[in-house]
Amino acid sequence: MTALSARRPPGEARMSWLIARRAAIESLRDRLTSLMSLFFAVVLPLGLLVFVVQPAAARSAESAIGGMLAFYLLVVGLMPAISAVGIAAGQFAGEKERGTLTPLLASPASNLAIFGGKVLGAILPPLAYAVLGETVYLVGVAVLLGLARLQSIPVATGFAMLVMVPAVTAFAAIVASLISSRVRTFNAAQQLAGLVLMPVWGVLLTVAIKLPDWGTGALMGAITGLVLVDAALLVAAAATWRREEVLSQI
Amino acid sequence: MIQARGLRRQFGRLVAVEDVSLCVPAGTILALLGPNGAGKTTTVRMLAGLLAPTTGEATVAGYDVRSDPAAVRAHVGLVTDSPGLHDQMTPAAYLEFFGQVYGVEPRCLQDRIAELLDLFDLKAVARTRMAGFSRGMQQKVALARALLHEPSVVFLDEPTAGLDPLAARMVRDLIVGLKSGSRSIVLCTHDLDEAERLADTVAILRRGRIVASDTPAALRAAASHASLIRVSLTAHRPDGLAILAATEGVLDPRLETSPSAAGAVFEYRTLDPERTNPRVIAALVSAGVDIVSVTCTTASLEDVFALAVATEPAA
Repeated sequence: MTALSARRPPGEARMSWLIARRAAIESLRDRLTSLMSLFFAVVLPLGLLVFVVQPAAARSAESAIGGMLAFYLLVVGLMPAISAVGIAAGQFAGEKERGTLTPLLASPASNLAIFGGKVLGAILPPLAYAVLGETVYLVGVAVLLGLARLQSIPVATGFAMLVMVPAVTAFAAIVASLISSRVRTFNAAQQLAGLVLMPVWGVLLTVAIKLPDWGTGALMGAITGLVLVDAALLVAAAATWRREEVLSQI
Repeated sequence: MIQARGLRRQFGRLVAVEDVSLCVPAGTILALLGPNGAGKTTTVRMLAGLLAPTTGEATVAGYDVRSDPAAVRAHVGLVTDSPGLHDQMTPAAYLEFFGQVYGVEPRCLQDRIAELLDLFDLKAVARTRMAGFSRGMQQKVALARALLHEPSVVFLDEPTAGLDPLAARMVRDLIVGLKSGSRSIVLCTHDLDEAERLADTVAILRRGRIVASDTPAALRAAASHASLIRVSLTAHRPDGLAILAATEGVLDPRLETSPSAAGAVFEYRTLDPERTNPRVIAALVSAGVDIVSVTCTTASLEDVFALAVATEPAA
């Protein structure tokens, strides 16, 4: 074996994708996380439909049902997305505890690629489960309440609720990753992230209830605003994150 | 090739490394020795492009650690005391991931992984999750990861820490195998015997400073006031002491054991064993003395280490 000239490491996007894919696969392999996510993606939407939505639909005026179904579309999507906080908390602090972070920090991957990849890796599995949950919910609405009720969901509101799920998941993952990269333990990361995100989730759900009343323009504005906040937060977090700080905690 | 001059690293008020200069030519192993907190890991992290030096300069594999740390990281391999493996991955998948991160050509990657799995005797477990691997096996995978992109510089930060003696010996054998004509290796270790056996050069760190640096033999020689030589003879010779005393370079000759039918042992000291010992042997042989053995005792690396870390570094 001889030492040869080094290879050319991949660019930022490819490197981020490599890191994200590995992180996503790893979290999907975690049995407890998968079971929890499957519960949120399959059992919870069905339970919500049978025990909450169906009785509520029976009591509500026909004109209000579409908005209610759209709101629960967001709820069903966000439930599995909560696991993004746990996954993101494990990306830095958890790996620090397990000692698996150093080889990646010692690689040619840039700070942006590592941070971006870790955030993306925390987002992808919950989003997959969110899609599954929303599909189960929509199919359940069609089966239990009828196709007409499914078609009563306002298109703009339904679209806004669907898009809000990845935007909110990304927000949660970025915040949790940021905290995770700056604390020493997984528990500390998870607790701090929960503390920061709880009020945010509360505000979001309140706004989501009101959104249909504000019209399509406000809906699109809210979504665009959330995406912009995500992008700004990601760039700021990646720019302020330093591998030296992470290393000094190992 | 590694060249560092005046490296300094400060964490807040703590100066972890101060004025470290070293050179590791291609094809050699430098052992960094020092007690816990001496600055070995910080030095390695600076040289591996993970930590920026506060002051000082260093080039590793031709790249400046300060201005181009990413290029440095792309050209070095690092193994720490903790293998840092993902338990749920198989060695093959793990190596494939790092091969991609280091940009190993896809068409070469599988061949390279197969070569390393073969080299480290991991072929049989290539598709087994690493959760149940022994420390020795984990360290083999970590070594394979560090060599995947064929780096010209390898940093081994206490690679045998926590390993049982057999696994440690196996890793040491692998390290010897890594030494090639074009690869520079830096080995941080607490194991002085390991350093003596593997390293071409030893640098002893104390409180962030290099307090001694040379080949193990030179360090031992420098720490020894004079080598102690023991000469065993088949039979006692009354003129033995006189022969020794008359030989140039011999100091303090004495009869070590009482003469007996089983023979006799003489001792002497010398500052220059390479020249003095042949003279002594020639003188004894020409006097008709039958020599059983000649042994030379100098200071051990442990003595050198103890002396170096006990001495206050120069301000």
